[in-house]
Amino acid sequence: MTTGLIIQVVLGGLLMGFVYALVAAGLSLIFGLMNVVNFAHGELLMLAMYGTYVIHENLHLDPLVQLPLIAVVMFGVGVAIYRLLIARALDVQFNTGMVQIFVTFGLGIFLVGAAQLTFGSDFRSISNGFLSNQTFMLGPVILPMSQVLAGLVCLLAFGVLALISRTEFGRALEATREDRDAVALIGIDRNRVFSIGWGIGAAAVGIAGVMLASFYYISPTVGDNFALIAYVTVALGGFGSLLGALIAGLLVGVVEALTALVIDPSLKQIGIFAIYVVVLMFRPRGLLGRL
Amino acid sequence: MRKIARGALPAVALLGGMLGAFAMVMPVAAAPPDVVIGAIFPLSGNAAAIGHDAQMALDTEADIINGHDNVPMLLGKGGGLPGLGGAKIKLVFADSQNNPQIARSEAERLITEDHVVAIIGSYTSATAVTISQLCERYEIPYISADNSAPSLSQQGLQWFFRTSPTDVDFSKAMFAFFASIGKQTGRPVHSIAIIHENSVFGTSSATVQEALAKAAGIKVLADISYQANSPSLSVEAERLRAANADVVMPSSYTSDAILLVRSMHDVGYTPKAIVAQDAGFVDPNFYTAVGPLGNDAMSRSSFAIDATKARPAIPQVNALFQARDHKDLNDLTGRELTALQVLADAINRAKSTNNTALQAALRATDIPGDQTIMPWSGIKFDSTGQNIEGTPVIQQHQNGVWHTVYPLDVATAPAVWNVGK
Repeated sequence: MTTGLIIQVVLGGLLMGFVYALVAAGLSLIFGLMNVVNFAHGELLMLAMYGTYVIHENLHLDPLVQLPLIAVVMFGVGVAIYRLLIARALDVQFNTGMVQIFVTFGLGIFLVGAAQLTFGSDFRSISNGFLSNQTFMLGPVILPMSQVLAGLVCLLAFGVLALISRTEFGRALEATREDRDAVALIGIDRNRVFSIGWGIGAAAVGIAGVMLASFYYISPTVGDNFALIAYVTVALGGFGSLLGALIAGLLVGVVEALTALVIDPSLKQIGIFAIYVVVLMFRPRGLLGRL
Repeated sequence: MRKIARGALPAVALLGGMLGAFAMVMPVAAAPPDVVIGAIFPLSGNAAAIGHDAQMALDTEADIINGHDNVPMLLGKGGGLPGLGGAKIKLVFADSQNNPQIARSEAERLITEDHVVAIIGSYTSATAVTISQLCERYEIPYISADNSAPSLSQQGLQWFFRTSPTDVDFSKAMFAFFASIGKQTGRPVHSIAIIHENSVFGTSSATVQEALAKAAGIKVLADISYQANSPSLSVEAERLRAANADVVMPSSYTSDAILLVRSMHDVGYTPKAIVAQDAGFVDPNFYTAVGPLGNDAMSRSSFAIDATKARPAIPQVNALFQARDHKDLNDLTGRELTALQVLADAINRAKSTNNTALQAALRATDIPGDQTIMPWSGIKFDSTGQNIEGTPVIQQHQNGVWHTVYPLDVATAPAVWNVGK
């Protein structure tokens, strides 16, 4: 095992880690804000990937150019999901937790079915994008352009999320998270904060979806491949913590890659869950969790 | 209102009764009852594309048997099954979701509720394990159309019949091809790298390949197993690059096949040759997704669409299939279609849908290859229910078209062979 190989594998893991982190960030934001686990999160990722694919096929717009568009559309999707489903589920008088789980779970199943009905079950992919199949050399290391860019964009998105948290709205978000009933007294519209929170969460996973679409295959069930990792990442980083999601995402990416290299590729998820179990044993609220 | 209802009720009942009696008498007089056959494939989930194609293939064959297309092969004349007075084939499809447990419960539903006379399935070998064991319990034949794990026919089952060759036959053909091309070009295979998904299909395929490599004196430089539907296969690709063997031998389903070939490219690795264990590498989706990266990939196959000289039925059957699915027949759909043909032939000879008569007829199956669309020498089951006359071929994807490159007597193009260059 050469040093070059190890560097290559670690870098590859880091790049994938940025994507995991951004997918997890949306999930973490929503959970931290209102204690709702979005079980349709993987399906939102799938939706964004199909969106990118359809626009690319019909209008020949490169995924990169589509970034702002998909982010805005996904923001709308997030707001709509909150207004049409989650807000109603929150109003239920009994067994609220269960109702929220079933609502998002059902939404996930619905989205997978709708995608299969609309696009069929064939695997799609964008193979002639601006960065498709391009690589560049960095000393002994070869990196695919599409993944490097995906990592950069995801990092940038984190920067934007961090900026948002410093604005007036960010403080309202924080206040709502701390005490959702008290904020009403100081004139913060809880519903508005929640729906924008869902919008931002969906936009974040949408951006990850656009970047993934430029190098990953697209199918109705593609969300499953990333959802489980996102849940682990959120729990590892700490519920509601943005920086936690970033660190945990990178950690998961690198641990996954190193387990595959050093032990065995078929055991790479064991590496992730081993770290998760260790963190839970010594720090049950996750690395940076405050709950 | 009440009065009207009271008056109308007997009239409606009388009319209903008459219609019911009419319906009961009519079919017996007009046509024999349909022969109901169950088919279990992954119709949703990650392998849904394959399941959809399988459904189209079986529907095509059922139409050939029931209709009047006059195809030059066994039961190609149409008009139903002559042995049962022209009875029509009726297919009932069930979705395994590519999950062995769901496959088992769907099989049970088909047998107990739809009263199917036999079940055809099921693409993944993991689902075939549960279906075939359930069929054994209910004493209903399971026709394995496209499951290739050798272990399936070594379970000691009496109701298991596999028309398709197994991964042992397929892998033997690959190593025979290596020997042949080595002799032909003077550039033999010295080493291989095996990469496989870690369920029944991939694991048993890899085990066989490793043993055959050892016997042929070929070094196995890597044997990598991975979990299917991984978010990333970069490290796996890295390991293959580090091994840099003469031939990369993947046993992968479509999603992983796409990701694997792209990842190899992303880490700057172009294998000298890929010889795949079918599955993802013969799925048309794979070639659309990877484009030129899939050029010159080879796969074992049990279907050769270009063998039209020896198998005159191919063009017509392919046209009928294309009208439904807008794709050419491939290795999987060809085998699925043939499995229904073989089962229908057995029912026809049994002249009954009774399970033991059907089992006896299946055991007595002896169909010459030219009565099918497959390049096999024929279909004949041994005591384990395995077809012993299914001879595989090696095909290569050259500039978007599949060409048979081995065995040489049925080859339609020379192999592009970069090993040793």
